[in-house]
Amino acid sequence: MELEKFSYDNRIPKLFAIATITWGVVGMLAGVIAAFQLAFPALNLGIEYTTFGRLRPVHTNAVIFAFVGNAIFTAVYYSLPRLLKTPMWNNTLSKIHFWGWQLIIVAAAITLLAGYTTSKEYAELEWPIDIAITVIWVIFGVNMMGTILTRRERHLYVAIWFYLASWVTVAMLHIVNSFELPYSALKSYSWFAGVQDALVQWWYGHNAVAFFLTTPFLGMMYYFLPKAANRPIYSYRLSIIHFWSLIFIYIWAGPHHLLYTALPEWAQALGTTLSLMLLLPSWGGMLNGLFTLRGAWDKVREDPVLKFIVVAVICYGMATFEGPMLSLKNVNAISHYSDWTVAHVHIGALGWNGFLTFGMLYWLLPRLFNTKLYSTKLATTHFLIGTLGIILYAVPMYWAAFRTYFMMSAFTPEGQLQYQFIDVVQSMVPFYALRGIGGTIYLIGVLLMVYNLIKTAKSGKFVAREEASAAPLTKTYTAPKKAHWHSLIERKPVMLLVLSFIAVAIGGLVEMVPTFLVKENVPTIASVKPYTPLELHGRDIYIKEGCNNCHTQMIRPFRYEVARYGDYSKAGEFVYDFPHLWGSKRTGPDLARIGGKYPDSWHFNHMLEPTSMAPGSVMPPYPWLFEKELNIGSTNSKIHAMRKLGVPYEKGYEAQAVADLKKQAQKISDNLAKEKIKIPSDREIVALIAYLQRLGTDIKASKISGK
Amino acid sequence: MSIIVITAIASLLIAGIFLAALIWSIKDGQYDDDFAPPNRILFDDKTTKHK
Amino acid sequence: MVNETSHIKTRCYHCGDECADSKLLIDDKRFCCSGCKLVYELLNENDLCTYYNLNEHPGRQQLNQKRKDKFAYLDKEEIAAQLINFADDQQVHITFSVPQMHCSSCLWLLENLEKLQPGILVSRVHFVNKEVFVVFDKKQTTLREVVETMAAVGYEPYLSMNTAKKERKSTHSRLVPIAISGFCFANIMMLSLPEYFSFTGYLHEKIGTAFRYIGLLLALPVFFYCAREFFSNALSSIKNKYLNIDSSIALAILLTFLRSLYNLFILDGNTYFDSMSGIVFFMLIGRWAQDRTQQSLIFDRDYKSFFPLAVNVKRNNGAEPVLIGNLREKDIIEVFDQDIIPADAVLAKGKALIDYSFVTGESLPKPIEPGSLIYAGGRQIGERIELMVLKKSDQGYLTNLWNKEENTASDNRKFLHRASNYFTIIVFALTLGSALFWLSKGQYNTMWNALTTTLIIACPCALLLADTFTNGNIMRILSRSGLFLKNSAVINDMAKVNHIVLDKTGTITLNKNFEISYRGKTLTDHEKMLISSLSRHSTHPLSKAIYHYLKPDTAITVDSFNNVPGKGIEGWIDDRHVKIGNRDFVQAGSVGDPAHSSKVFVWIDGRVPGVFELKNTYRNGLKDMLSDIRKRFSLSILSGDNHAEQLRLTKMTEGQAEILFDQSPEDKYNYISHLQAKGNIVLMAGDGLNDAGALRKSDVGIAVMEGNNSFTPASDGIISAHAFTRMYSLLKFTSRARRVLIFSFTISIIYNIIGLYFALQGLLAPVIAAILMPASTISIILITFGMTEWYGRKLIRVKT
Repeated sequence: MELEKFSYDNRIPKLFAIATITWGVVGMLAGVIAAFQLAFPALNLGIEYTTFGRLRPVHTNAVIFAFVGNAIFTAVYYSLPRLLKTPMWNNTLSKIHFWGWQLIIVAAAITLLAGYTTSKEYAELEWPIDIAITVIWVIFGVNMMGTILTRRERHLYVAIWFYLASWVTVAMLHIVNSFELPYSALKSYSWFAGVQDALVQWWYGHNAVAFFLTTPFLGMMYYFLPKAANRPIYSYRLSIIHFWSLIFIYIWAGPHHLLYTALPEWAQALGTTLSLMLLLPSWGGMLNGLFTLRGAWDKVREDPVLKFIVVAVICYGMATFEGPMLSLKNVNAISHYSDWTVAHVHIGALGWNGFLTFGMLYWLLPRLFNTKLYSTKLATTHFLIGTLGIILYAVPMYWAAFRTYFMMSAFTPEGQLQYQFIDVVQSMVPFYALRGIGGTIYLIGVLLMVYNLIKTAKSGKFVAREEASAAPLTKTYTAPKKAHWHSLIERKPVMLLVLSFIAVAIGGLVEMVPTFLVKENVPTIASVKPYTPLELHGRDIYIKEGCNNCHTQMIRPFRYEVARYGDYSKAGEFVYDFPHLWGSKRTGPDLARIGGKYPDSWHFNHMLEPTSMAPGSVMPPYPWLFEKELNIGSTNSKIHAMRKLGVPYEKGYEAQAVADLKKQAQKISDNLAKEKIKIPSDREIVALIAYLQRLGTDIKASKISGK
Repeated sequence: MSIIVITAIASLLIAGIFLAALIWSIKDGQYDDDFAPPNRILFDDKTTKHK
Repeated sequence: MVNETSHIKTRCYHCGDECADSKLLIDDKRFCCSGCKLVYELLNENDLCTYYNLNEHPGRQQLNQKRKDKFAYLDKEEIAAQLINFADDQQVHITFSVPQMHCSSCLWLLENLEKLQPGILVSRVHFVNKEVFVVFDKKQTTLREVVETMAAVGYEPYLSMNTAKKERKSTHSRLVPIAISGFCFANIMMLSLPEYFSFTGYLHEKIGTAFRYIGLLLALPVFFYCAREFFSNALSSIKNKYLNIDSSIALAILLTFLRSLYNLFILDGNTYFDSMSGIVFFMLIGRWAQDRTQQSLIFDRDYKSFFPLAVNVKRNNGAEPVLIGNLREKDIIEVFDQDIIPADAVLAKGKALIDYSFVTGESLPKPIEPGSLIYAGGRQIGERIELMVLKKSDQGYLTNLWNKEENTASDNRKFLHRASNYFTIIVFALTLGSALFWLSKGQYNTMWNALTTTLIIACPCALLLADTFTNGNIMRILSRSGLFLKNSAVINDMAKVNHIVLDKTGTITLNKNFEISYRGKTLTDHEKMLISSLSRHSTHPLSKAIYHYLKPDTAITVDSFNNVPGKGIEGWIDDRHVKIGNRDFVQAGSVGDPAHSSKVFVWIDGRVPGVFELKNTYRNGLKDMLSDIRKRFSLSILSGDNHAEQLRLTKMTEGQAEILFDQSPEDKYNYISHLQAKGNIVLMAGDGLNDAGALRKSDVGIAVMEGNNSFTPASDGIISAHAFTRMYSLLKFTSRARRVLIFSFTISIIYNIIGLYFALQGLLAPVIAAILMPASTISIILITFGMTEWYGRKLIRVKT
C-alpha cells in the first residue's frame, strides 16, 4: 500500500478538444447558412441536399452531438481521472469511444443530407446509427464506471455526479425514443404513433436538452470554474442539493412541449408544474457559480476564461428562467411554433454551451501544451464579438416572435383574419437576415479562437502524459462500526420485507405493461383510415425533404388558428401517424388540414416554383421531385411494417398494394393532365400531392357524412 | 395513452437508481465533510519527484 | 541594522503575529518566534511551501517549545492501543483529532504528511470533524514519530483518553429515511396529479389504476421503513399507559394506509398514499432539523479530556510512561513545563508554580512550597517537577465535582406532551364519536369518510411540526450568532431562566489579558527595552502581559537569566542587572502579600524606577450587558480570584448584583444549588473546569469558548467568546421565539377545528383532506420560519 505512481493521459482530451473545435465550426457554419436560407431561399443553389429541410437537422445534430458532445467528452476525459486520482480505466475503450463517435457524426451528416431521417427532432438519425450510438455510449459508460471503481480518491466530487446522471439518463432516453421498426437498410418507422409518439419525442426532446446540454455542463462548471478562479465553489452543500433536486425534477418536465396540443390536459399540467419547480434548483446552481467569484471580480476583468464562464452561467440563469415561463400556458400560446423558442434555445446553445466550452478550451489548451495562451487580447476580442453575436441573434428573434403572434391573431372588425400567412412570412424576412448576421458574427469569434488556439499549441510542447501519485483507497477508512448495506438488510427484517415487496411488485408492473400496449385507448375516430400506399410514399417523401422543419400538422384550439387552418386537431386523427409530424416551428403554414384545400395543380406548381402560387414565399423549389421516379419496390415492406405496428391493413394487402398505388397515381396525373400539366404518374411529386391532399380529410369527410 | 405509463415507469426506474445512489452516498459518508472536497480539487497533483 | 529595521512592524510569515525580533528571518521572510521559524524551515526543506501559497499566514504561533520526549509514552504498546482504530503486522490505522486545522493550507499539509515522515502511507482529513486519518507502515515509522512529525509542523494532535474512546453519532440514520420518504412523497404526488386534475375526465381508467399501483409501490417503503420511528414510539407509549403525540400520528398513518388499500383493492377508487408519505416526510424533516447540533463541538466532555493521556512515573529503573487511569497512590510522577497535573498530589521535588486559572479561576499562578498539596487540573509553569500521587485521578477533588449527581434534565417536551396527550384523546373521542354516529345512521360510506378525514385533518403533525421546526430554526439562528445549544430542550429552559450567574475570570474578563498601568519615574526607551527583553523569557502571564504592553521593536539577549517561581525573574542585559517581580523579590526583606499581588516591581541596578499595576480587562460592552441583564434577571458574579476587583465590579453592576470572591469550585456548585433551593431557575456562564460543577448543576449551563478549538467543560450550551456580551439579546430572542411557538400552535389548532367541522360531517372528500393537510403544515412551517427570522434579524451573524 505504497504511494502508487500513475499518469494522466492527455492524448484523448486533446483529440476530443480538436474534434470539439472542428465540429463546432462546421455545425455553426451549417446554422448560418440555414439561417440565411430563410431570408434568401435561393441559397440552396437548387441542390436537393442543401435545402433548409435537410440542412437544419445537420445543424442541430452537429452542434448538439458533435460540438457539445465532444466538449463534454473533453471535459470528462480530462477532469474525471484528476478528480479520482487514477487514469481512465481502459485506454482502448477511450480510443474506440473517440473514433466511434467521430464516425457516427460523419455518418449522420451524410445520411441527413441524403434525406435519411426519422423526422424526430434531435433524434433524426436512422436506426443503424442509433444502434452505433448506443454501443459507443455504453463503451463510454463502462470506461467511466471502471474509472470510478478503480479510483484512489474516496469522495466523488459533485461534477462526477453530474457526469454519471447525464450518462444514465441519456442512455435511457435514447433507447426508449429510438424504438423503431426498420423496413429497409436505412429506413424505419417509429414504434409509436401520433400523440404517443409526440409524447415520447418531447419527453426525450426535453430531457435531451436537460441531460445532454445542461447536466454535463453543470459538471463542467463545477470543475472548471473553481479551477479557473482558483477558489473553491461558493457552497459545496448547495451544489449537492442542486444536483439531487435537479435530477429528481428534470425527468418529469417533458410534456410542457406539447401545451395546447392533443395531449391530455393533466399531463400538460404536470409538465407545467414541474417546469416551474425546476426554477429553484437551476438558479441555485447559477448563484452558486456566480458567488464563487465574489471578491474575485478583479480576476474576471483580466481573465478571458472567467469572462466566458461568467457569461455562460448568466445565460444558464436566463435560459432556466425563461424555460419555466415558456411552460406557462398563456406564455406558451405566444411562444409555441414561433421564433421565441428558437431564441430561447440559442441563448442556451450560444451562451451556456458555447461560452462554457470556449472558456474550457482557453483554460485547457495552454495546460495540455504546457504554455501560455498565445493572445489574451484576441481571446477577449472573441468574448466581445461572441457576446455581440448572441445579442444580435436573440433580439430579432424575440421581436419576430411577438410580431408573428400579433399579426397571426389580428382580426378585422368584420371578424376576418387581418393578415394572410404570406404577409407574416414577408415581415419576418428582415429578422431572419439579422439573425443570420448575428450568427455570422458569433462564428467569426469562433474562428478567432481557432487561430488563437492553434498558435498556442504551436508555441508549446504537447504533454502526452502527466505523472502523478496517490495512495490506494483503504478499506477501513470509515469507522469499523459502519456496516455494509447488505448486512444492514439482514439485520433489519422489515427492510428485507419491503425490498421483497417492491421486487415482486415491479415484476407485476412489468407484466401489466403489455396489456396497456395492446389496449390502445386514444379515442379512435371511426372515419380515420390508414394511408393508401401512395400516400404512405408521399408521407415518406415529406419526411425525407424535412418539410416538418417548417410546417406543423397540429392546429391548436385558438380562434385565430381555427379560422386560419380549420378545425383544431384531435388526438384520434393521428393514430396511424408513425411517426407523428406535428412539428415545432411554423415558418410555413400549418398543413394539418391542407387536404382538398387547393387543386392538385396548385400543389404541382407550388412545389415546382413556390413563388408562382404564393408570391413572397421563402420556400425553395423542389424540381427533383419531378424527375425522380417513385421507388415502388419498397411498398410491400412498408405496408408490412405498418401492419406490424398495428395499422389495420387486411392480410395479404401487399398483393394489391402496388396496383392500388398505380391506380391512385394514374388518377392524379390524369387529373393534372386536365389542367394541361403533363407528368408521368411514377414521379415522386405525385405521391407527395396524394399525401398532401389526404391530410385532415378524414374528419372533414366524417363531418359531411355526419350532416 | 399507454405510453405515459411506460415513460412514467421508465422515469421512475431511473429516479429509483438515483435514489439508490443517493442513499449509498449518504451512508458512505460522502457528504459528511463539505469543506475538504471542494478545496482538494484545487490542489496540484502530488508529483512523484521526491527530494 | 537593528535601528533600520526597528521601526517597521512586520508580520510573521508563518502565523501572522507581529514580529519583534529582527534576527528571526530567512530569505526576507520574518518570523515572530523561533518556533514559527523552525516550522518554516522544516516545510521549506521538504518543498512543502505550497502551504504558504494557499493562504497567508496559515500557521498558529509556536511560542512554547515542545519537550523532546513529550510523546515518549506513545512507544508503550498499551497506551498506543488506546488510540489506534486498527493494526495488523505491517500497517496501523489511526484517527487523530487536530483542533488546530482551520484552512485549506492545513488540509493540504496534513494530507501531505508522507513527505515529512516516510513511513506514512495515507493521511486523509475529515475537516468538519477536525480529524486526520493516518495509515502508517510499522516497519518504517512509529506512532510516536508520526505524532511528533505533526507536532513539529504545528499540528500536534489532541490525544486524550476519550478521544481514544470517542464515538461520533452519524446523521445518516436520520437522513436516509428522509430521503426515501421525500422521494416517495414527491413521486406519489406526481402520479396523483391526474386524480387532482381529472377535471378533463380525459384520464383513462387504465392509467389511473396503473398509477395507483405504482403509488402503492412507493408507499410501501414509507410505511414499513420510514415510519417505524412513530410506530415504535406509539407502542412504547401505550405500554407505559399514556398516549404520546406519536401515537396519534401513527394511527393517522396506519388509517390512511389501510383506507387507501381498501379503496385500491375493493373500491378501485382514489388513494391517499401521497398524504400519508407527506405526513411521514414532514415529521421526519422536523425532527431532523431539531436534532441538528454543531458537529464539531463536544458538549459533554468529562474531566478525562483535559488530562494528558499518560505521565512518566519514576520507577526504580528510571521513568516510564503510565496511563493516567493506571496511576496508583504513592507513585512519583514527573510533570514538565505547561503540563497539566493529572491527579491530586504533593510536591516532592522542584520549584512548582501552578496556574490554577482553569481549575479555581485565579488569574495568577501560585508558587507551591515543597510538601504541600497540588490539585489535579493545575498547569505547571517553569521547570520539571516531581510529585507524589495522593489519589487516583478519578477520585481527585476536581473529578468529584463531575461525579456529583447529574441535574435531572428538565423534559423539554413536557408541555407539548401534556398538550398532545389531551389533544390525542380528544381527537380519538371525536373520531370514534362521529364514526359511531354515522354508523347508527347506517351510512357506512360517510362513516368511512368521517373516520379517515378526521384523522388526516386532526393528525397533530401541524402541531408537532410547529414545535420541532420552530426549535430547529431557533437553534439555527442562535448558532449563527455564536451560541450553540446541546439540544432543543435547552431553549425551553432558557425561556424560564430568572437568575443569571456569571463567572469572573475568563468569562466576563479576558483570560490572561491585563490592563497595565505604570507608576513611577518614566522609563527611557532603553530601559523599556531592557525590561521587555527580560520579560520575554518568562511564560508567566504577568511578564507576557508586560512584554506585550511595552511592544519592543527589538530584543537583546539576556545573560544569566534566573526565574524564581512565584517571585520574579532577573538577568543581565547590556551589562546591567535587571529584576522584575513582586515587592520582596526586588527589595529583599520588605514584606508584602506575594501570592495575591498583581503589582510588578521593576529593579534596575539597585534602583526601583517604578511599578506596573495589572488589572483584569473586562470584555467590551460588558457594562451595558450587565445593566440589560439586571432589567429582567437577578444577577450574581462568582470569582475564584481575590477581591482585588471588588470595587470595579460593584461599580460596574451599580451594586445591584451579588458578588462573591475566593469561590472554590465547590462553593460555586453549592451557591447554584442554594439558588435553586430558593426556587430560582439559574443560568450559569463560565469557562473553566472550576465552573464545571456549577455549570452542570445549573438549569442552563453555558460554557464560554475562546477561539473555536479551546476545550470547554460539560455544559448545555457553548457560547463563543465574542458573542458573550450579546448574551442578553440572545436570551431575549429565545423567549420571544417561544411566543412564535405558541402562536403557531394556535394557528394549527384553528386549522384543525375548521377541518374537523367539515370532516366530522363526512363532507370532506379524503382527497381534499389529503391536499389540505400538507398545505396547512407547510403554511405553519413558513410562519414559524418567517417569524423567528424576523425576531432573529437583529442578532448579527458570527463566523465560527
